[in-house]
Amino acid sequence: MYWYVARRLAWAFVATFIILTITFLLLEVTPDAQAAQLQFQAAQGGGSAEAAREAYETRRGLDAPLWERYSNYMINVFTLEWGWSDTRSQPVVEAILDAYPYSLMYGIPAVLISTVVGIAIGLYSATHQYTLADYAGTFVAFFGISIPNFWFGIILLLVFAVELGWVPVLFDPNVPVFSVANAKQLVLPVFVLTTAAIASEMRYARAEALEYVNAEFVKTAKAKGADGRRILTRHILRPALVPLSTILVGDLLGLILTTSYLVEVVFGIPGLGRLSLDAILNQDTALVLGTTFIPVLIAVIGNLLQDLAYTILDPRIDYGDR
Amino acid sequence: MSGNDSATPDAARDATSDATLDATDREGRNPLLSVRDLRVRFRTEEGVVRAVDGVSFDVYPGETVCLVGESGSGKTVTGEAITRLVKSPPGEIEGEVVFDGQNLSDLSEKQLRKIRGGRIGHIFQNPQNALNPVYTVGWQVAEAVRLHTDASRKEARERAIDLLDQVGIPEAAARYGDYPHEFSGGQKQRVVVAQALAANPDLLIADEPTTALDVTIQAQILRLLADLREEFGMAVLLVTHDLSVVAEVADRVVVVYAGKVMESGDVYNIFEDPAHPYTRALLDCLPGRGGETRGIPGRLPDPTNPPDGCRFHPRCPHALPECREGAQPPLYEVADDHEVSCVYYDGSHDPTAITGEASSRPSFPDGGGGGGVSDRANVRPDDSREDEDDE
Repeated sequence: MYWYVARRLAWAFVATFIILTITFLLLEVTPDAQAAQLQFQAAQGGGSAEAAREAYETRRGLDAPLWERYSNYMINVFTLEWGWSDTRSQPVVEAILDAYPYSLMYGIPAVLISTVVGIAIGLYSATHQYTLADYAGTFVAFFGISIPNFWFGIILLLVFAVELGWVPVLFDPNVPVFSVANAKQLVLPVFVLTTAAIASEMRYARAEALEYVNAEFVKTAKAKGADGRRILTRHILRPALVPLSTILVGDLLGLILTTSYLVEVVFGIPGLGRLSLDAILNQDTALVLGTTFIPVLIAVIGNLLQDLAYTILDPRIDYGDR
Repeated sequence: MSGNDSATPDAARDATSDATLDATDREGRNPLLSVRDLRVRFRTEEGVVRAVDGVSFDVYPGETVCLVGESGSGKTVTGEAITRLVKSPPGEIEGEVVFDGQNLSDLSEKQLRKIRGGRIGHIFQNPQNALNPVYTVGWQVAEAVRLHTDASRKEARERAIDLLDQVGIPEAAARYGDYPHEFSGGQKQRVVVAQALAANPDLLIADEPTTALDVTIQAQILRLLADLREEFGMAVLLVTHDLSVVAEVADRVVVVYAGKVMESGDVYNIFEDPAHPYTRALLDCLPGRGGETRGIPGRLPDPTNPPDGCRFHPRCPHALPECREGAQPPLYEVADDHEVSCVYYDGSHDPTAITGEASSRPSFPDGGGGGGVSDRANVRPDDSREDEDDE
């Protein structure tokens, strides 16, 4: 098992390396917007576009050989020297550090609630298959999956902020983190994200649990005299956790990569999604790169944790000698 | 084994009414388990499946009763309906199940949980899937102990090790922490038996406990069950399609077909003087009973739409016009502790048409003898891996 863990760790490093290398190569072949702009300005001012480009490249260290630039890039990535954001006039790392607490503020509650509630509803649905409650759960799931998040967010804002005035329309980043005001303005974004994530969690949990609801060993447990709750938590949920643990990482990524953009834009939250979106719109290459590293890191670390969770959750998987 | 004192010769008793067997004493005892007119229906999209349709039988303390029939005859569902293990919905259970004077049909889920695993132990067909793969076998046996006693974790652990030792797991203490996938099929079945025995049950319901096992292991498990029965003095209700197993362990036999009892009685009566054509056909499937081995032609009736009259008449070589109409014939008493549901025994027919001479065994109407036998109907003792789909 230790050998397996060590190998997984090593593989996580390799994967990170590969992803970073691909990112580097992509950047190499991408036309540099700033260089193009400088060249354009130089040409307009009657200067040499070529000279301007060379000056720019020397200044940025782009005239060094490919290998040197690659190793510099790698060192910088691992030492958190992620460059300078021109549009924000601050280091990229600083910009990210400023933004991420806002993402966590709605992200953590959304993930926790959707995981717990989603699995709970899924289990209930599975054990009460084809009852009214099961159909209701299925309806909620499809509602959550089908409804576009940004639209749902806007409608909720219109109803609860504009019409009813229960929550503020504009997100105020200056209120204290643990305060009623902050909780109030986070309710809607968390709710929107949760409805989307709950749906997939619930469907997976239902499908996985159904596989075990009719299992022979569940009947054995019942024949032993175990009560319904014990059967559900010990004999159904526990084996179902193995596959369920795998979708958690995917859900997190989905949340961070896509949903957060929409939610942060709609609700005006200055989190990582907004930061990344603005960087893309303003062609701030360093910042785009920096905000891309975050989901990459989460994916690599998440997959690593998931593989390790397997070893604990399912004793049938033997890693000893491989 | 004698002494059904109140026996009225040729007394016609309705199979679906109260008394198939007298609930009075046999050897002065009351039955431990008394099943009366048990019915289990499943509502499916194809219609209502009547898996068990009015089954009655008794199990006396300490005896082994075998529930025999082809795959799909409703014997498994009968075994699971006793403690209401049948999932409901879609299953619906009716009828009376009296266990040690308690009517189990009246009990709440909570009271029933005390009976399940406490006074009635269960063993299921396939040991491969009967144990939860993510827990150690020791944990699972200890769980059974803790569900029915106030034992502390440590005491339950010790008891579980004792139980594993009793069912013949070598080095039980060392194997306590092993997972089910580290055990062979036979060993898993031993663990399942250990779980069922955790609370010293009075009755063990064993549903095809050897079907999924190798022949050599089958014998070991049967011996283990027989030993444990002796040691614990419990009664065993053995559900099986394997007549060689029946011959080995049964005290009494209940033959079921398509959810109905065809014949029941002492094991010697059933094997020496089988009265019902179905029982005779089953026994003819056994190799080594003289004559060629053959299957029973035809197949089980559609459980959503069983035939009128005797359930077996479409496959019966002796079928008369009256077999095709009305309800299943009542159980007629042909001897002490031997009853059969067949019109030939109503007094107005000559049963020797069925029992006849062994040499003049009837040929089947569709000519199905040695040749065209359907696999499904082929009930032979060595058919150990036959698929069970009693659901």
